[in-house]
Parts: sequence; C-alpha cells; structure tokens
Amino acid sequence: MLVLAFDTATDVVSVAIGRDGQPLGMLQLESGREHAERLVPAIASLVADTGVALDQLAAVAVGVGPGRFTGLRVGVTTAKVMAQALRVPVVGIGTLDLVAYPLRHTRRDVVAVVDARRREVFWARYRTVPGGLERVGAEAVDPPHELIAEIEATGVDVLVAGDGADRYRAELAAVDRVALAGPEFSAPSALALLELAQGRLEREEFTSPQALAPVYLRDSDAAINWERAQLRSPA
Amino acid sequence: MLVLGIETSCDETAAAVVEDGRIVRSSVVSSQVDLHAQFGGVVPEVASRAHVDLIVPVVADALGEAGVELADLDAVAATHGPGLAGALLVGVSAAKALALVGGLPYVGVNHLEAHLYAGWLEHPDMEPPLAVLLVSGGHTMLVAVDGPGAYRVLGQTVDDAAGEAFDKVARFLGLGYPGGPVIDRLARTGDPGAIPFPRAMPGEIDCSFSGLKTAVVQHVRANPDVVVADVAASFQEAVVDQLVEKLAITADATDATTLVLGGGVAANSRLRERTAALAAATGRAVFLPPLALCTDNAAMIAAAATYRLGADGPTPLDTGVDPGLGLV
Ligand SMILES: [Zn+2]
Repeated sequence: MLVLAFDTATDVVSVAIGRDGQPLGMLQLESGREHAERLVPAIASLVADTGVALDQLAAVAVGVGPGRFTGLRVGVTTAKVMAQALRVPVVGIGTLDLVAYPLRHTRRDVVAVVDARRREVFWARYRTVPGGLERVGAEAVDPPHELIAEIEATGVDVLVAGDGADRYRAELAAVDRVALAGPEFSAPSALALLELAQGRLEREEFTSPQALAPVYLRDSDAAINWERAQLRSPA
Repeated sequence: MLVLGIETSCDETAAAVVEDGRIVRSSVVSSQVDLHAQFGGVVPEVASRAHVDLIVPVVADALGEAGVELADLDAVAATHGPGLAGALLVGVSAAKALALVGGLPYVGVNHLEAHLYAGWLEHPDMEPPLAVLLVSGGHTMLVAVDGPGAYRVLGQTVDDAAGEAFDKVARFLGLGYPGGPVIDRLARTGDPGAIPFPRAMPGEIDCSFSGLKTAVVQHVRANPDVVVADVAASFQEAVVDQLVEKLAITADATDATTLVLGGGVAANSRLRERTAALAAATGRAVFLPPLALCTDNAAMIAAAATYRLGADGPTPLDTGVDPGLGLV
C-alpha cells in the first residue's frame, strides 16, 4: 500500500513516500514560514526521485497539528485536495504523536512539546506500551512553567522532545526527572507518520477529504482577541 | 482551453471553470458573511479557518456544475495576492495540489487584475482604453486600462476603502454588517441633500473617506433626532459624488471611450445610476457588470489566468502568496 505522508505544523517541512509503512524516500527541510513555497515542490521532487506515480497512491497522510496555524493550513489543505482529486482516503495524525513516536523505545514517559509562540507550548505526555506509545490525558496549550509544573506533579521520569523543548531547553533541563532528547528528534517526522498511518489504514480508520480538519487547540476567539490586541498595539 | 480558478483572498471561498477566458461554465461562491457579521467585519483567523473547511466542497461543486473532471482542465489558478495572508494560502495550496495531481500548469493570479477581467467576461467586445473604478471593502482605485496587461493606477484612496466606510458608518448607525447593501436600501427612503457632508480631495484622482466617516459621527452626535434614512442617503451621496468625480477626471485624462465599474461597491444602485448618467452626458460607453461578477468570485480569476498563462506561462510552484501585491 503506497502512501504519501507530510507534516507542516512546525518550521520544518517533512515529506515521505512509503510502501506498507516502510519508506521509499524522505525529504526534510527547514522551511521557516515558507510552507506554501516549499511543500508542493518537495512532494514533486520526492515523487520524481522514488519513481512513484501519484495515481498509484492508496492514501495521503498528514500531520493535523497542533502547531503553527499557517503551516498547518497549508499541509491540511494540500492533503485534503490531493486526496479528493486522487479519490483516496486521507489519514490525519496528531503532530505531537509524530514527535513522540520515534522515542517509543525509551523506558521513560515521553513528553512531546511544539512551540506555540506567544510564550506557550502545545504538549502531550505518552507512556510506552507494547508496540508503541499511548497518550496520557489530552493535548494541551500552556505556558512553559505550567508544563513544568505538570511534569513535576506526575512524579515519573520523562524524556522531552520537540521544537518547544528546544526553545525552553534551559528551563526544562533544570527540572529533576527530565531528560532532553537530541536535536534530531525536534521535528515531527514523516517517517513516523508513514508507520502510524499504515496502522490506521489497516484498521480502516480514515477520514473523508472534506471532513479532515486541523487541530488548532486554540479557539479562534483567542486568536481574535489576540489579533485585536496586536492591532491596538503594533509590536 | 478550460481553466479552474480558485479565490480565497478575503471572506468568499470560490471556485469556477471558465472556457477560453470568456465562457463561464460554472461559478461557485460560498460567502462567509454570516460568520463575520457577529464581529462587524472580516476577522482574518476566522476567514482562514472557514476557507480550509469549505475548499473541498466548493472545488467539487465547481467541477461538477461544469461537468468536467480534473483531467479535462488545461490549468489551475488561484489568487495569490493581494489579500489576507492566511486566507490566500488556502486557495494557493489547493490550486498547487490540483496542479500536481493533474500534471497541469499552476497560475498565480493578481486579484486586482482579475477584477478588471470581470468586465471582459460579460462584454468580450469591450474595447480599451477603459477608465475603471475598482471599489470594494478592500480597495478603491482608479485605473486606466490601455489593453490586456497594460494598466496604470491613476488614483486610489489615501485612507479607508469605500466599502470600509460603508461598513463603519453602518456599524455606527447600528444597521448591521455588511454596510453597503443596508445603506443602499435605507438611502432610498431618505433625502440625499439633507446633510451637506464633505466631498474630499476635489479635483484630484485620489480619494479619502475617513473625514466623511468622522463628519457622519459628529453630525449624528450633535443631532440625536436626525432621520437615519437621511444620514444614510446623504452619506451615500457624498461617497458616490466623490467616486464619480474621480472617474470623470480619469476618463478625461486618458481619453477612455468606456467607463467600467468593478468590485463589491459597484453593486451600489446609486453609484451605478450616476456612472451611467456620467457616460451618457459625456458620450461614452458604460459597462456595469452584473452583481455576481462585481463581488469577489473565481470566474474572474480563471479569466485573468487564461490571459496570464498565454502572456507569461505558468507560475513556478515555489511561488508563495503576496498579501500586499499591487496592480502594477
Ligand atoms: Zn475584490
């Protein structure tokens, strides 16, 4: 089963094409804010490199956030529209899951942390289970000090990863029981997406292109208030 | 030549299929106006989210109504500026995804240029030079069109767009959102000469509406018993007077043989009436596009893309959006 997978919820664009969960090719690039410029050319070059014809794809998989709204919308829109045009299902997987999954062999709990800007982070905690990870509790958006308080309250050893962990590295490193994953684990991984999507496809847990939606985690009221505040006091 | 156009620059999610740049095979517009009404204006984050929700069904409807499949198309186009960054990204991402899947050229379209093409969709025989008044909630500009792709912006608003002034005054008068249609309707029962609101920047092609808005606020505060319909009619007359004067100067300065309106405010009945009267008085032809082509739509995007594809070829897939894109 051929699958195209990509995540654009952070400053990195990660794209992979795989068969039955195993990668045929992968591209990861530092994209900053230029997801709309980078994503489709990256897919096109990966398609050319792997010799895969798009009409052979069995599904499109995408990281649905939480993450930076702009990148998220580029990725989710591209996935929806491609899946609709190819008449294949689309699989949406949480971006925090994609950060955590490569660390599933640890004995610690894994905390995935994505920078949410405005001095906040998106995060979730996972515990290891046979064959992977299981999320404990809900995905959340909090200031870093609240994340740290939550980690301290759990009383277990954790391994922390993601670009949000990089940003607040000093604060997190000062916490007992916290170990920090290396920088190679910062970006949500399209390889993890291929593997996780494969399981979903086998269980036929996919969405229609129309129903797929980003996970914003901040409601638009918050965004509205923030935009209004920005208008009143331009930074 | 069949082109699919996509428009998501502001608060309309739209897609259309146009044949040979002239024949509208389908034109689907899903307006978010109800969504934004509670805020009294377009909220960018709300608009961007709604575009993501609406893009798949709107594109599917446009293809379905035209009776075509992706494989039948020759190009896919989307507005890439000007507009709201987060909103533009949705349409551009959708168009690029379709171009990739269909192996088709992608064309990034200038929304302002597309408004000029709305005219040619309805009147293919419209002959330049044209004097165009492009007026909406986002833009107010006077454009000389010397031919396809040959534009000169001779004047524009120095502060608010005219549509913005309608929205702000309507909100102040408690009339709701959007302001254009509600003021237009109310003005029919009022006296346009009741209150002598100022006409800004006489003799120039540039326009200004912020002083007028302030004058309305001051007048109503000083005269709490004023008839609201008279305020609406007098305000509208001041806007229209100003716009028609600028259009007349533009036409004289360019020897234009035809006057054209474009943009959402071109739906205003008084502006249409006065523009037709100006054309008649000066012996010029006039073109007032149907309302569906004045307001934001994707047929105009596909029409402009057809011309741009011929003139410049496809837009590279690594081209992003340009929220501040100008006409020239
Ligand atoms: Zn417009």
